[in-house]
Amino acid sequence: MSTSDPDNSSEFFAQFLDDYYAECDEHLTLVRRNLLALEAQVGQAQVEQALLDELFRSFHTLKGISAMVGLSAAEQLAHHMESYLRALRQSETILSAEGVEALIAGASTLEQVVAARRNELPLPGITAVVARLEAVASDFSSKSAQDALTDDAGGKGLEPDGAKAEAGARDAVTGATARTWRVEFVPTPALAERGVNVNSVRARLQEIGELVQAKPQVRGKGEIAFLFVVVTDADESVFASWGIENLTFAPVEETATAGSPTLPSETAAAQEPEPGGAPGTEPVPQSRMLAPSNVVRVDLARLDELMRMIGELVISRARLEGHLGRLKKSVSAAEWRALQETSLAMGRQLRDLREGVMRVRMVQVGEIFERMQFVVRDLARESGKRITLELLGRETEIDKFLVERMTDPLMHLVRNAVSHGLETADERVAQGKAAEGKLTLRAAAVGESVLIEIADDGRGIDKGRVAARAQAKGLIGEREALDDAALLELICAPGFSTRDEADRGSGRGVGMDVVRNTVEELGGRISLETESGKGTRFTVELPLTLAIAEALIVSVDGQKFAVPQSAVQEVIEVETSAVKALENNEIIPYRGGVLPLVRLARLFELNDVRERAAFHVFVIGSGSSALGVAVDRIIGQREIVVRGISDPLVQVAGIAGATELGDERVVLILDVAALRQSAANR
Amino acid sequence: MSKQSDSEPFILFELAGTTYGVRSRFVQQVEMVEHVTPVPNASDAVEGVVFARGQVVPALNLRVRFGFEKAPFDLRSRLIVVNTGGRVVGMIVDTAREFLSIPAAAIGAPPEALTGLSGKYLEGIATLDRRLVLILNLDEVIDIANTQTVVDGEPEAA
Amino acid sequence: MTASLRPLRDVGFGEASSGLEAIERLALAPVDLMILDLNMPDMHGMEVIEFVRGHQAYSGIPIIVLTTRGDEASRTGALAAGATHYLTKPFDPHELTEHARRLLDAG
Repeated sequence: MSTSDPDNSSEFFAQFLDDYYAECDEHLTLVRRNLLALEAQVGQAQVEQALLDELFRSFHTLKGISAMVGLSAAEQLAHHMESYLRALRQSETILSAEGVEALIAGASTLEQVVAARRNELPLPGITAVVARLEAVASDFSSKSAQDALTDDAGGKGLEPDGAKAEAGARDAVTGATARTWRVEFVPTPALAERGVNVNSVRARLQEIGELVQAKPQVRGKGEIAFLFVVVTDADESVFASWGIENLTFAPVEETATAGSPTLPSETAAAQEPEPGGAPGTEPVPQSRMLAPSNVVRVDLARLDELMRMIGELVISRARLEGHLGRLKKSVSAAEWRALQETSLAMGRQLRDLREGVMRVRMVQVGEIFERMQFVVRDLARESGKRITLELLGRETEIDKFLVERMTDPLMHLVRNAVSHGLETADERVAQGKAAEGKLTLRAAAVGESVLIEIADDGRGIDKGRVAARAQAKGLIGEREALDDAALLELICAPGFSTRDEADRGSGRGVGMDVVRNTVEELGGRISLETESGKGTRFTVELPLTLAIAEALIVSVDGQKFAVPQSAVQEVIEVETSAVKALENNEIIPYRGGVLPLVRLARLFELNDVRERAAFHVFVIGSGSSALGVAVDRIIGQREIVVRGISDPLVQVAGIAGATELGDERVVLILDVAALRQSAANR
Repeated sequence: MSKQSDSEPFILFELAGTTYGVRSRFVQQVEMVEHVTPVPNASDAVEGVVFARGQVVPALNLRVRFGFEKAPFDLRSRLIVVNTGGRVVGMIVDTAREFLSIPAAAIGAPPEALTGLSGKYLEGIATLDRRLVLILNLDEVIDIANTQTVVDGEPEAA
Repeated sequence: MTASLRPLRDVGFGEASSGLEAIERLALAPVDLMILDLNMPDMHGMEVIEFVRGHQAYSGIPIIVLTTRGDEASRTGALAAGATHYLTKPFDPHELTEHARRLLDAG
């Protein structure tokens, strides 16, 4: 296994690695699900064959792709699990609890190995797990080894892994005289004029055999040369016959290709079989899982792009409607009606399209839940606690983006529940509770939101301790009674949670403050219910739909801002001469009375251009609490896609969020209530 | 990218003539500096917000943050977007173009004598051949509590 | 794309339809500016950038990179690897001409 291949440092390989991680995730998700199903069948005389087939295929693929990227630990683990599965498939062994345990341990370790590699951390040891796997398969090892040979060579429709690619290339060319040659070509202007260039050389080499490698190099004096490695049964005379100066060639001694990762560039140049187990070639399994061939893997970034484009369509259509409105007087009533209908139809279709794309982005919450099962199982084991995990509503669908962002925070809540919330069996029995602690994860769609609950029936949050620590940090006064809401505020305060909780594999500290920030950034809310001795429940509510709102776009000192239409009563143009000053305030005549004025430029410390003859004002509030906000110009009205702003660095009074008008520039959304407040405070 | 377990990849950037390093696993993306929308009443070091991967991300002007003179953005200026501790924040630097694997052994603690800014924002100093790379303590750099205007190394209220 | 660069006078163009060809160009004649599409048949544009930046004789050549809209990872990698500027496809030909002119004049 090559560990010091200098080509590993190329960016191209890094992208190849990303694909590898994505594929691993996919297969490991499937493996997890299947292993849990398998567990339920322990001891049965007949284990569901489709399940075993699928697991076998998954491990086979994982073995192959791990070999291709040179992650030997993963390859070995996958290999041993594959062997055991092979034995099981061929009904040579009855599924035992120990066997399933070994597989689960193997899968967990594999996951950890991949994650470690991804995060550039030291790899966990695999010897113990491998020993366990070997033990459960040991009775049949000699038999399975034989089968391994027949399996791979006989090609039961499974792809050879990349480690054998070069050998494969050699075999493909056949002939006892097939040899590997190193060919070097140095281009010169003179040769190029004759039509001899790197392309023509490459083409010739491809004609006579298989081109395994093509690389640019810089030689001693800074000259550029190209190095080709080709497998061919042609002999020296062929090269010489081309009559190309600057072309040197030499045979290469055959080296044992111990699975050095095949550079993807070679794959392009040669015609090699696709690297390890491409999903499209797998026969469709009969199980209740989604048949892989019916599934398309889509980069989430592309879906984001789609959503962005839809957002733009929404904005364009709104503009169109604006234009149409102005046309009303210039067209006949019939034409006008027709235009209106079309515009409305488009609006409807856009909504449908938006919903359609959102549905594509939806995945089942069960995806996160499954990952948690393994975590809970491990944690329970470590802490010696007995825990039942209840999962409800796993088919509830949420946006994939939410899944990505919420996985770590939810994991944190689960860990807290297991580590701090639930007591040991003894403690529980002493309290008259069942020895097994219960942890419930529940997901439900409620209206336009999705609710995710994490509840335990443990000891509840110790209010006294939290209060004491908060007091020590000066966060609250003495003897303040704490209700659940206040409690939540405290534990989510930055710096409150201690980061010395061992947070295996989740990178830097995810504390309660991060959990809340994430939820709020996603436009959601988190709430807490806890009772001493009874348990704790965290409820996270997340919005399902993209927030789209009507907004007024205004301009101040050359900068655009968006104001939620719902807050705007009216829009007027004011002559500078009409403004009267009254102490610190300014007022203008309005509807028979006066309207106090506040200048956005001053509130935001922007340039206030006073020399204009006239300017625009939008009115918020009504009656005696009406307030006019002065801007340079009101540009128009648009439908906008609302995005949250929650990073503390940019949380300022008066700004509620941000949006984009189609040109990738951020436009800030005003917080009308805060504006009013600022105005009042002056 | 070295596979040795005691060496980590870093992204290097330049700021006012000095080279700094950030662990590449925290770097989400590196962009050119375009379309930064100023946020009114935000602290001086916050240049504004930008769109990155569909998210609205704050952009810190590191020159201001570290008390250097502001410089106009040019074709070489870069926005380094980092993702750490649940936060996604961008940092504007003079230029960023290198990946480098730095062995843990080459990184030493910053000398005690460096007071003020340096002590706070640095995790360590890497000595490589003839080069010094200052390793950033990302969490401190993006910490809101540190947004005060600093003059001559002494913090003063904004 | 060559068409969009036509407004630039006194500039000679070389075209290459693959990464190896692009590198070969460096050997054949002095190059003042490279405009590189990241997606090429034989090698990824990134490798070309690294090659160019990795060798003293060529490391100073400005490189404008063309990336696909939405492909953030490539953009980041390209800039980190040393690309001077990037344009997202589909790009405005004027932008390309302008940047090219600017980089050629500066060089």
